[in-house]
Amino acid sequence: MSKSTGVASRPVSVSDVSTPRAELFARVLDPASRANPYPLYAALRSEPVSRQSDGTWVVSGFDEIAALLHDPRISSDMTNAGQSAGGQSLIMQDPPNHDRLRAAVMGRFTPEVVESLRQEVHNLIDGLLDAVGSGTSLDLVEEIAYPLPVSVICALLGIPPQDEARFHGWADTLARTLDLDPTMSREEQAAIDHAFTELHHYLENLVADRAEHRGDDLVSGLLTGGDRGEPLRGQELLITVRLLLIAGHETTVNLITNGMLTLLRHPDILERFRREPELVVPMVEELVRYEPSVQFRYRAALADIEIAGTTIPRGSVVVLLLAAGSRDPGHFTDPDSFVPDRIPNEHFGFGGGIHYCIGAPLARMEAQIVLPELVRRLINPRLTMDPPPYRPTAALRGPRHLWIEVDGIRP
Amino acid sequence: MRVMVDLARCQSYGQCVFAAPEIFEISGQEVLEYDSAPSDEWRLHALRARAACPVQAITIGPAAGPGQDLRQPPATRPAADSVGVLR
Repeated sequence: MSKSTGVASRPVSVSDVSTPRAELFARVLDPASRANPYPLYAALRSEPVSRQSDGTWVVSGFDEIAALLHDPRISSDMTNAGQSAGGQSLIMQDPPNHDRLRAAVMGRFTPEVVESLRQEVHNLIDGLLDAVGSGTSLDLVEEIAYPLPVSVICALLGIPPQDEARFHGWADTLARTLDLDPTMSREEQAAIDHAFTELHHYLENLVADRAEHRGDDLVSGLLTGGDRGEPLRGQELLITVRLLLIAGHETTVNLITNGMLTLLRHPDILERFRREPELVVPMVEELVRYEPSVQFRYRAALADIEIAGTTIPRGSVVVLLLAAGSRDPGHFTDPDSFVPDRIPNEHFGFGGGIHYCIGAPLARMEAQIVLPELVRRLINPRLTMDPPPYRPTAALRGPRHLWIEVDGIRP
Repeated sequence: MRVMVDLARCQSYGQCVFAAPEIFEISGQEVLEYDSAPSDEWRLHALRARAACPVQAITIGPAAGPGQDLRQPPATRPAADSVGVLR
């Protein structure tokens, strides 16, 4: 059993990284780098806009990422970089279509709607911790972080409780598609296709049902439209609902898991957090800076873009390495340290610009409720493996399991 | 409690409205309106809004007394951020 060794918080030295700069992003994508990609990011930042040998342009400096997040010559529609269309959800679209779809969601994903889920999140974490029972070890991912966000999304979408188990199954299967595992068997691929089809049919029926019987759930709201957004129909509504399910799930799992992992690697901060529960407010912000669920996003260049003394050619694939920008020493003091009350903290943990994470208020609320409850109820929690095993995906990064030993669970 | 928003930084992300709807509102044309002297009852909500602002445009300080310069940033007043746990 290893003690908390603080892998991710060890001072990072560029000299640790001997890879040629143009090969660095390939190493970021390599699952072997998943536990600690940050030295690679630091090496990339020495050239904040860096052309990789495969022609991809990686942007890793804070100022450069901020500029491109707001640059209309940067597209989220990857067909502009010669890639096949990756679904038509709003995160893969540009204005004006993006704006129309986003307004439809924002018009219904209101502060009142998020707030109405607060008690549900409390009930869920209570129930999940109760279910751990008298055990002295748990897998935080399987038993807490994974089931909780799916249940929250089900509550948001108005999925009847009796259907929730099926949703958990689909979410589980869809999460595996994020792993991009080249060794995936034909059977596994077939299972994923099957889950997609089942989910699609389920959502079709759900939408048809809500069209007849409007409720106060988000699906009914999207069908009705609002002050700022027109109603969504047909495929657009289905694709949007599926996006909310997928985007809102895995990222929140990772936020909770990375949060607990980071606290267990910093026992002094964990102790302070016990004494000062309100610390959770700036601390969750620091978590999404320090260990963001979304490490980077792909974009396409619509024109030749001059930036940082170089030119990104039109049609290029651009990687906005958000997690590297959030650790840019030009913008943050001591960026590789976890500082729970870092103020100000202007990070890219939820992106930026017109695609800023729609679910950010919900994610913050979930983390601000769940982390204090975990810290309050888990007695003497210890990591049993550090680093934990990670899911292979580089863009959505998080542990596959987080095994924790405890002396017990407080009521 | 005193709340100030640097409107030159504000980009109307609206995160403050989720965190503290009692203090912040974004009206039709994406213009932020806010209560610069909210009740201390909403202190936690104000702290949530400050933390959540993507461009960190919000500052929070103690209520200003008569004759005090409202434009003075809270950083120059040691009490500003030590009201609670935020040292």
